[in-house]
Amino acid sequence: MSPIAPAFSFDKQDTAARRSLWRSLASSGNGRLGLALAAIMLAVIGLGPWLAPYPPTQIGLGLPNQFPTWAHPFGTDDLGRDILSRFLVGGRSVILVPFVAVVLSTVVGGWLGIVSAYAQIQPRLRWIDQGIASLLDLALALPPLLLALVLIAGFGTSPPVLILSVAAIFAPRTGRILRGATQAVVTSDYVAAAQARGESLSYILLREVLPNIAATAIAEFALRMTWGIIFVASLSFLGLGAQPPSSDWGLMVAQARPYITVSPIAVLAPAAGIALLSVALNLIADALADHLDPASGQPGVPL
Amino acid sequence: MIHPASPRTDMSMPIAGPAGRNGPDTIPVVLSMRDLSLSYEGADGELNPVVHEVSLDLRRGEILGIVGESGSGKSTTALASMGYRSPNVRVGGGEVLLGGTNLLTLDVPRLRTIWGRRIGFVAQQASLALNPSLRIGAQLAAPLKKHMALAGKALHDRQVELLRMVDLPDPEAALRRYSFQFSGGQQQRIAIALAMSCDPEILVMDEPTTGLDATTQARISDLLRALVRERKVAVIYVSHDLGLLHALADRIAVMLDGRIVETGAADDVVVRGGHPYTRALMAAAPRIGTANLPTPAAGASDALPVLRARAVVCTHPGAGEPSVHGIDLEVARGETLGIIGESGSGKSTLLRAIAGLMAPTAGSIDFQGDKLAPLVSKRPVRTRGEIQLIFQNPDSSLNPRQTVRSILTRPIRLFRPDVRRGDETAEIRRLLAAVRLPDSLIDRFPSELSGGQKQRIAIARAFAARPLLLLCDEITSALDVSVQAAILDLLKDLARENGVATVFVSHDLAVVRALAHSTIVMRHGRVVERGETGAVFTDPRDPYTRALLEAVHDLPPAEAPHV
Repeated sequence: MSPIAPAFSFDKQDTAARRSLWRSLASSGNGRLGLALAAIMLAVIGLGPWLAPYPPTQIGLGLPNQFPTWAHPFGTDDLGRDILSRFLVGGRSVILVPFVAVVLSTVVGGWLGIVSAYAQIQPRLRWIDQGIASLLDLALALPPLLLALVLIAGFGTSPPVLILSVAAIFAPRTGRILRGATQAVVTSDYVAAAQARGESLSYILLREVLPNIAATAIAEFALRMTWGIIFVASLSFLGLGAQPPSSDWGLMVAQARPYITVSPIAVLAPAAGIALLSVALNLIADALADHLDPASGQPGVPL
Repeated sequence: MIHPASPRTDMSMPIAGPAGRNGPDTIPVVLSMRDLSLSYEGADGELNPVVHEVSLDLRRGEILGIVGESGSGKSTTALASMGYRSPNVRVGGGEVLLGGTNLLTLDVPRLRTIWGRRIGFVAQQASLALNPSLRIGAQLAAPLKKHMALAGKALHDRQVELLRMVDLPDPEAALRRYSFQFSGGQQQRIAIALAMSCDPEILVMDEPTTGLDATTQARISDLLRALVRERKVAVIYVSHDLGLLHALADRIAVMLDGRIVETGAADDVVVRGGHPYTRALMAAAPRIGTANLPTPAAGASDALPVLRARAVVCTHPGAGEPSVHGIDLEVARGETLGIIGESGSGKSTLLRAIAGLMAPTAGSIDFQGDKLAPLVSKRPVRTRGEIQLIFQNPDSSLNPRQTVRSILTRPIRLFRPDVRRGDETAEIRRLLAAVRLPDSLIDRFPSELSGGQKQRIAIARAFAARPLLLLCDEITSALDVSVQAAILDLLKDLARENGVATVFVSHDLAVVRALAHSTIVMRHGRVVERGETGAVFTDPRDPYTRALLEAVHDLPPAEAPHV
């Protein structure tokens, strides 16, 4: 051993670098607020159908466009349906469709990106990367709303079609992000070391690469969810998503819009629900991004 | 180096230090640090002291070297000499006086009138310090416009003069090019021209030649000497390389754990240095002239070499010129072959070809008498284990998301049928002991280890497979000298105990001299010299080998300590 004592140690800083994702989320103000808001919204959406005082689609429960009363705390809509009941039930489609779609798009798009970046460093496989990259570029060039319109016009407005359309629109975007994240990892020597051991492709991608891009993938997932919620709600608002008489929030906004001056709460309640949900997920995504790159939270100015 | 016709403007006259601060030798002090103490503030608000009561004087026209290992606080000290602290640094006390002004009390707008004008800064990596999306001309123009209000022809003339001063070929054309169109050495010259643009009194250089080739490093040092001689600029030169500072600096300050443990004239510190740490640094630095040659390997004359390469050619896809251009080599059991070459000489490509990470375009590689498949995926499992590659930088070669245990378990599972499942932990403990690491590290992540510890883990991973051939790619160049000395000793012992053949690639001649039985010198993908290590170093026949040897700053042997 050397006669020289180990110099100044940076241990503290390094252990901070591998704080767990949850601890880091809980330690930032944004993360705490986002988690709390998301928990409340999920509770409302999850328990809503059991809490709803009336069947959400039953018409003529009261007078049309009634102001809030004890019997109908949020009032009634133009068909005399109970707005509170519709609000409590209508969150499910707002979160379920985007959730399934984003899971799908992250898995499909993510793997396209990872495989593409890995193929890029192999001289004999580079054509795979070129193919995938061109495909992603092509898909990104299509305007999202127009693409959704065409797919829904062609295949109808059932939830599976909605989910597949949203996934098809998001997958190339997620693919591009994770391709970039993977590019930084696959050029590391630990990947070369795994290749030199003769490890299989699946071992290298699952055990060496994936853990190192997982944090990016999670942050991308959270951010994509907020876009997904707004995108699906927008489709419902345009009449391309949920169909009457269902109580989807986006559809509720669209249907109550003509009566906004008479019964503003019928528009505001579902709109606030959509807004709070996306703000919560956005705050979580922000905190995750800070966790990935702690420097981004600090101003880069000296002194 | 300095263009003879380069005129000096009146504005560029250095300003002498304040009266009354003159040193004993009457050369004015331009910058003075008094009892400077700095701490890093952690995320939890806790203060970690990094610099303790450092006092230094910088005189006009001198090069002051600050030497220390990573974490010694030398860079933090150098940056603080400009009044700069990163956002998480807190000043514990002391002052930095430039002409009577304490820089630590100035705000950023005031400091910006001093930075670039009176103090120039050269960062370690010019490739990162220069903006890749601005032409060199635009980058050089910025400080000249801001501090000297130059414009039009005067600005252009000054730009050309500066690039000529740092000996850049065709300055007119260089102004229109981007930084990445230059080599590493040229980029550092441009960075120096940028720092010198407004004729500052002080130049702060943070490891400016680390990572450059020895011959490039020597040319930058020559340039710096000429600048100091002709422009009387005072230089703070931070480096981990005591040999380089001995050759370059007038005075040297040795830093350890944030304190200056010794300071004095370069020769005094190096030759008669009294502090135990200075002597330890001296002892750890490998030397070309005085090192004992490694003892001849037992069985080196065995009939069958472990590795035999014949006329190996490697071409990177898309590149016209091959990076390895017909190399022959042979390594016997227990023997170490050193390969010396600068970056781009093809030495790492050759190692990757032997390891099977890249298929050679021509030639053959035999291992234990049998022809090796070009790619590792076509080689039998046993062969994969018997050939092990150790990488330059453990930060990149160890997966940050795997613990020491999982890093070492994998090669044992793959290549060690003699170790039963469930018995891996015992084998890992044995490996950790062999690389002189405590058992307690077994469940740590790489980020919780020091640089030297990480490289030991990388070595342990290679030995976990019981290799017959070890390929080492610059494995000590990312480490401090004391750590390097320990790693080299370890490698020597392990190689001898296990009788492995080693191919050791390095740009550091002294390291190869200390380790290799025979040596190959590579340049542009070809062998320019080969032979017994002693013969190559004492009687080089190729002019390139001679140039490499001349570029090395060998430390003189230390004298016995004063009592």
